[in-house]
Amino acid sequence: MKYFLKKAGFMAFTVFAVCALTFFLMNVIPGGTAELILKHTLIGLEESATEEQLIQFSSRYNLDDPLYLQFFSWVKEAVLRGDMGTSYVYKKPVIYLLALRLPATVQLAGASMALAIVVGVSLGIYSALQENRISDHILRIITLFGVSMPGFWVALILILIFSLKLKLVPVSGYGNLENMLLPAAALSLHSIASIMRVTRTSMLETLGQEYIRFAKAKGLPVWKIISRHALKNAMLPVITVIGFQTGSLLGGAVVIEKIFAWPGIGGLLVDSISARDLPVVQGCVLAIVTMYLLVHFLVDMLYTHLDPRIRYG
Amino acid sequence: MKNKNSPLFIILIILLTCSFLLASGCSSTEENDTKEAVSGTEITSGSDAKGSSEASTLVLGEMWEIDSINTLAGGGTLICEKAAITETLVGANDDFSLKPGLANSWEQLDENTWEFKLRDDVSFHDGSKMTVKEVKLTLEKIIEANPKVASMLKIDTIEEVDEYTLKIKTKEINPILPGILHYPDTAILSPSSFDGSGEFVKPIGTGPYKFESFDERTRILTVVRNENWWGGKVGLAKMVLKGIPDPNTRAMSIENGEVDFTVDVPYSETDRIGALDGIIVEKYKTPRVYKLDVNLKHDPLGDLRVRQAMSYAIDRHDIAEHVLYNVGEAAAGPFLPTMVWANKSLSPYTRDLEKANELLTAAGWVDTDGDGIRDKGGKPLKLNMMTYSARPGLPPMAEAITAQLKEAGIGVELEIMEVGSINDRRKKGDWNLYLAAYNIAMVPDPEYILTNWYMTDGSDNQPGYSNPKVDSLITEARKITDLKERYKKFSDVEAIVYEEQPMIIIAYYGCAIVKKDYVKGYVFDPTAHDYRINAGMYIEK
Repeated sequence: MKYFLKKAGFMAFTVFAVCALTFFLMNVIPGGTAELILKHTLIGLEESATEEQLIQFSSRYNLDDPLYLQFFSWVKEAVLRGDMGTSYVYKKPVIYLLALRLPATVQLAGASMALAIVVGVSLGIYSALQENRISDHILRIITLFGVSMPGFWVALILILIFSLKLKLVPVSGYGNLENMLLPAAALSLHSIASIMRVTRTSMLETLGQEYIRFAKAKGLPVWKIISRHALKNAMLPVITVIGFQTGSLLGGAVVIEKIFAWPGIGGLLVDSISARDLPVVQGCVLAIVTMYLLVHFLVDMLYTHLDPRIRYG
Repeated sequence: MKNKNSPLFIILIILLTCSFLLASGCSSTEENDTKEAVSGTEITSGSDAKGSSEASTLVLGEMWEIDSINTLAGGGTLICEKAAITETLVGANDDFSLKPGLANSWEQLDENTWEFKLRDDVSFHDGSKMTVKEVKLTLEKIIEANPKVASMLKIDTIEEVDEYTLKIKTKEINPILPGILHYPDTAILSPSSFDGSGEFVKPIGTGPYKFESFDERTRILTVVRNENWWGGKVGLAKMVLKGIPDPNTRAMSIENGEVDFTVDVPYSETDRIGALDGIIVEKYKTPRVYKLDVNLKHDPLGDLRVRQAMSYAIDRHDIAEHVLYNVGEAAAGPFLPTMVWANKSLSPYTRDLEKANELLTAAGWVDTDGDGIRDKGGKPLKLNMMTYSARPGLPPMAEAITAQLKEAGIGVELEIMEVGSINDRRKKGDWNLYLAAYNIAMVPDPEYILTNWYMTDGSDNQPGYSNPKVDSLITEARKITDLKERYKKFSDVEAIVYEEQPMIIIAYYGCAIVKKDYVKGYVFDPTAHDYRINAGMYIEK
């Protein structure tokens, strides 16, 4: 119990620190907040704002207050009332925008992670069993390819094959299951490769252990050795990698989202940064950091489950 | 391993588990989807157009993400020009001269007073009549919400003379008032577009298409035919607008038949896609120019000869053909030659390296050390050039200009930056050249652009250009309401800046319309801000 409290305290501190850092960094990058917001909303990217418009806008949103005051009032509202402010650009509450976008991100991240785990772990085991045979080499070359190929290129090639040539799925959009297949596949490629490589290494190490040799000597069939004894012990490093990958997927996949017109949080964050839509940036960062920390917390819990020798507290 | 088959067996099991996992994963996401659809955040106007035939529904692939349908907060152009839900008081012809819109006629009573006569046969989509009351309300809402439009309109008071006559008093003389009322943000809304507390809910206008729904989650906007449009018959029963921000995706979407109409596929792809069966690509000019700002405060660029030499060194036709793939055209002055006020005697600078050489040599810039870059007094002729990547034509164009200037012995270091950083550098004056794409007809009148660009204190006069003759011509012309005389003075300004090149205009911006061949009756509106959907467009399969 004490451990959980400590962990929760640490997480809260991390969230706070990241939000503070984001807030001050956003104000340090050049460009002038009021001017860029105006450019992105009312006057057009290439037009110049007049002095009068800038003053009016700054005073409406208290942009001229000292930074620490602005940040303090944001924290106060967020903590006391759960109000993360209103977007300058969309004129909607940040909570509302997040509620619109987060499900899409979670769906996409979930689907591509499921795909990555299933394919990555299976291929990893297979590759370990086939160590240094032809199929192992081929698989390892393919994964090297998977790690090296940029996501947007893979995405376009996937669309070319599965939408234009085979006519199996639509090019872009959001809402149906078939819309999710291509972005999930494009996004998972990198994770598949990492998971597979870690699984292979870890599996090989485990297979060299004495208890595995004993199990073999006992005459257990291979699949039983793998599933009962080897896999569980080989999973620890794999779980770590899965945790990291899930975290980064939840942060949004800006390029993939743009190509498939997927309404996720990554696009929202990037647009908001270039428009200096501070409340939205803060909200997105807060959501991403929280999800990331939760995933890592889950990973820690899984450790104790997989290896009872690990104890926290 | 003794049993050769066993690894295969394992794979079989794993594959089975995979398919099981995938299947269960899929079904659970499917459940999620349906749940969302129920609790979805769709705003629907209630009108039921389910009965309309599939055949006359058009799916439009819009070039920007559809984030807002609020015409007071950035959604004006989309709702008015692309979704054709709202209309403006004033319209414009292809040569940018004004024509009646929701207002039949207008007249300047004295210096600061305008009278607009409204059409008396216009109804909003909610069935109510459009009278001066609604027009006044809309204009007041816009002035309150949009400081840019407010500062252009310069409206002091709006008066209702009778049901269809509106009197507008401006704070100072403002000959471009009717032109500003052509701007999509000033389109007229029914009061029922707002809720009790005055918050915007959905756009209810007078246009050929009625708002049906906007799904904030999928960001799909649906509009249906307005059977009672004052302008006559409307071509499509229904139009579905989806934002597809990636140009490659737009191209593949129309190739795959998911959209019937889209714009601006990658410029390099226009010819390939136009050659496909069943797809038509049309290239038009839009009121925007690619312009190279020159910082006159920095030593060599203050010299007229250097600027002219640069203009001669740039091959505009080559850029239009090989960078823009003819989505755009070589430019002479800031205005399209089709605009009624443009100075038609100007033609684009053609490339002439010899002339450039003469001018630069006369200015004292000669390559003495043989490194390919000219120098003077031991200082090489090296400049920096900033641009941004939000418009796809800019970075490759900047590369081309860099290479072409190099051939004339001018070294350019290219920096592609974020708009915020560019602003910062421009404010500090820490730049030489800046390539950007400027809108030239937010308002169909030359005053706005010439004032902002070339007047000594103009808000977009970043080069720091100052010519008393130009200033006085513009100031005089601004007070003249007689169009012919007014345009004459503006033409003189154009001729002067053509000679002096404080800003090097490279090319006119283009728009590639990509549509299926069964989409008929589309007419491009050159005065639109990206493109406009016209009521006469229909589908004939």
